Amino acid sequence: MPPLITIRGLRKTYRMGDENVHALDGVDLDFQKGEFVAILGPSGSGKSTLMHILGFMDTPSEGSIVFDGEEVARLDPDRRAWYRSHRVGFVFQAFNLLPRLTVVENVALPLLYRDNSDPEANLAAARAALERVGMSHRLDHRPGQLSGGERQRVAVARAIVGTPSIIFADEPTGNLDVKNVDRVLELLGSLIKEGITVVLVTHDLSVAEKAHRVISMRAGLVQEDRVR
Amino acid sequence: MTRLFDRVRPAVVNGLRELQANKVRSLLSMSGIILGVASLVAMVTVVQGMVGNFRQFVDAMGGIEKITVVREQLPKEQEHLAELSEGLTMRDVERIRRTVPLVRNISPEARVGYEKIVVDGRETNTYVTGVTSDYLPVAKRWVEPDQGRFVSDLDVLNMTDVIVLGSAVIPELFAPNVDPIGQVVKVRGRRFTVVGILNNIEGTGMQIRSANSRSSGGAWRWRNSGAFIPVSTALTKYNGNDRLSGLGLRIADPEQLRDAVDQTERTMLAAHKGLRDFSISTNEQTLEDFRKTEAAFKLSLGGVAGISLFVGGIGIMNVMLASINERIREIGVRKAVGARGSDLFLQFLAEAAVVSVVGGLIGLVVSVGIVTLMNFILTQALPTGAVATLDWVIMGEGLAFSVVIGLIAGVYPALRAAKLDPIEALRHE
Repeated sequence: MPPLITIRGLRKTYRMGDENVHALDGVDLDFQKGEFVAILGPSGSGKSTLMHILGFMDTPSEGSIVFDGEEVARLDPDRRAWYRSHRVGFVFQAFNLLPRLTVVENVALPLLYRDNSDPEANLAAARAALERVGMSHRLDHRPGQLSGGERQRVAVARAIVGTPSIIFADEPTGNLDVKNVDRVLELLGSLIKEGITVVLVTHDLSVAEKAHRVISMRAGLVQEDRVR
Repeated sequence: MTRLFDRVRPAVVNGLRELQANKVRSLLSMSGIILGVASLVAMVTVVQGMVGNFRQFVDAMGGIEKITVVREQLPKEQEHLAELSEGLTMRDVERIRRTVPLVRNISPEARVGYEKIVVDGRETNTYVTGVTSDYLPVAKRWVEPDQGRFVSDLDVLNMTDVIVLGSAVIPELFAPNVDPIGQVVKVRGRRFTVVGILNNIEGTGMQIRSANSRSSGGAWRWRNSGAFIPVSTALTKYNGNDRLSGLGLRIADPEQLRDAVDQTERTMLAAHKGLRDFSISTNEQTLEDFRKTEAAFKLSLGGVAGISLFVGGIGIMNVMLASINERIREIGVRKAVGARGSDLFLQFLAEAAVVSVVGGLIGLVVSVGIVTLMNFILTQALPTGAVATLDWVIMGEGLAFSVVIGLIAGVYPALRAAKLDPIEALRHE
C-alpha cells in the first residue's frame, strides 16, 4: 500500500532580521495509513513547522509533499483550506474550543465550511463523533462547563467529525492531569483502527512512548526514526 | 445563489449571537447608527410634512395658477413721470382680457379699508374689498348653496349696495338664531344688504387643522373674515376714484404661467406708456422660495444625519476591529478546521451588517417617537398643524442606508480577519 504522505527534501526557511533560519533543513519522511506516530523534539527543533506544513496551514520553501497520491506542496490558500476541512484534523494543547458555541456546535464547526453543508446533517455527524469519544451526555454544554479532559475529548471529536485521513495532536496532554493524559492518548491511539493516521507532536518522551513510531527531530532535521 | 445563502446564513446567526453576547458594547457601537437613522428619518418626514402643509397654504392663496398684479410706486428713474401714472384701473382689466388669452379670470380688487360694520347695536371690524364675480374662481372660494350668493355682474353694473360676508364675521354681527341673508348692515353709514356668506375654510378638504388654536379659525382666520361689495360701489361710493388696489388673475394652464406673466407684463407696460407703476407676482415665486428653503433644510439636516451615520460607521468599524482583536484565536481555530479567508470575511461582514441593521431598526423606532413628539409640538405651536406622517419608503431608505454603512464599515475589519495567518492566530494569547 502506498504511504499516505511522502515528503522529500522538505525545507522551510524564515527570514529573521538579516539571518535566514532553517526551521526545516531537508526532511524526508513517509507516513502510512493508520499509523500512530509521535514527532518528538525540543522547541525550535522544527516539529511544529513540520506539523503546520503537513496540516496545510503553511507551505514549505522547498521540497515535495505527496498526499494521497497528489502533490500538495504548493497549493493556494483556498485549496489548503479544503484539505484542512476534508483530510486533516487538529487537536491542540489549549483545546481551542469556541466558548460561545455549545459542545455539539463546536464539533460540527469543521463541517460548516464544506460546500453543500447541511446544518442538520452536520449536527448528526457531530453527535456521532461525540458518542465515539464518550461525550454524548454534554452536547448542549458550553466548553467552560467542562473539565480539561472532557474538553480535550470534545476537541478530538471535532478532529474526527470530518472523517479525516490524518490527525495532528499538538501537545494534546500538556494541559491535562495524569488520569486524563492516559485516557486521551488511548483515545487517539484507538483512532488508527479506523484507518486514521495519528501524529502526536510533543516534547515529552513519556507521551511519545505511547506511539508506535517515534520520529525525533533536532535543528530542522530528523535525528532518529524508530518503530517500537 | 443558494450556496451563497448557505454561507451567509450561519454568518448572520453568528452575528446575532455575538450581538447578544456583547449587548452593552453592541448598543454603544450602534448608537451612531441609531442616531443617524433616527434623525434622517425624522427630519425627512418632518420636512416633507412642512412641504405638504405649505402646498396647502399656497393652494389657499389661489394656487400656482394665480397671478397677482398690485399698484406700485414708480421706480426712482421714473419718479418725475408720476403725474402720468393712472394706476391700476378697470381699463387694465379689459386690456388683459383682450390681449392675454391665457388668463381665464380677472378679479379686480378695490380695497375700501379696515371698516367698522354695524348692525342693530352689534359691530365688528374687518377688511372691506370691492370685487367682481371673478373673485371666487381666482381666490378658489365659493358660496355654499344655502348661504346665499356672491357679488354678481349685475351688482357691479348697477353699483348695488350688496355685501357678502366672511364666515368669521357672521357670529360677531348676528345672533345664532338670526339668518344673516337679507339683513341690512352699515359700513361708514351706508346701508348694505347681506346677500351671501363665503365658504368656511376650516373643515374643508384641505386638512387645515385649527381646533387647537385659541381664536377660532386660527391662522386661517384672515381667510374667513372680510366683507365683499361690488367693485363699482367701492370705487364710486367710497374711494372716489377709479384706482384699483390690485388684480388677481387666474390662468387656465399652470404650465403656461411664465408666458401668461410675460404677456400680462407687456400688455400692462404698453398700456401704462412704459411706466412701471405696478408689480406682478405669482405664488410660484413663493413656492420656489419655499423649495429653496426645503432644499436647504434637507441638505443641512441630511448633512447632520449623514455625519452621524458616518460616525456610526466609524463606531461599528472600531468595535469590529476590537472584536477581531479579541477573537484572533477564534479566527485561527476556524481557519484550522477549514474556513477559507472568504468565510471569515463573510462572517465578520455579516456581523457588522447585523449590528447596523439592528441599530437601524432601533433608529426607526426612535424616529417614530421623534416624529410623534414633533407632531405634538407643532400642532400646539402652529394652528395650521404641520402634521408629518411617517412614510414607509423613507423608513425603508433609512434602514437601507444603515445596512450600507454597516457593510462599508465592516469591509476593512473583515478583510483583516480574512487575512490573518492561522498559525499566528492560534499562537495568540
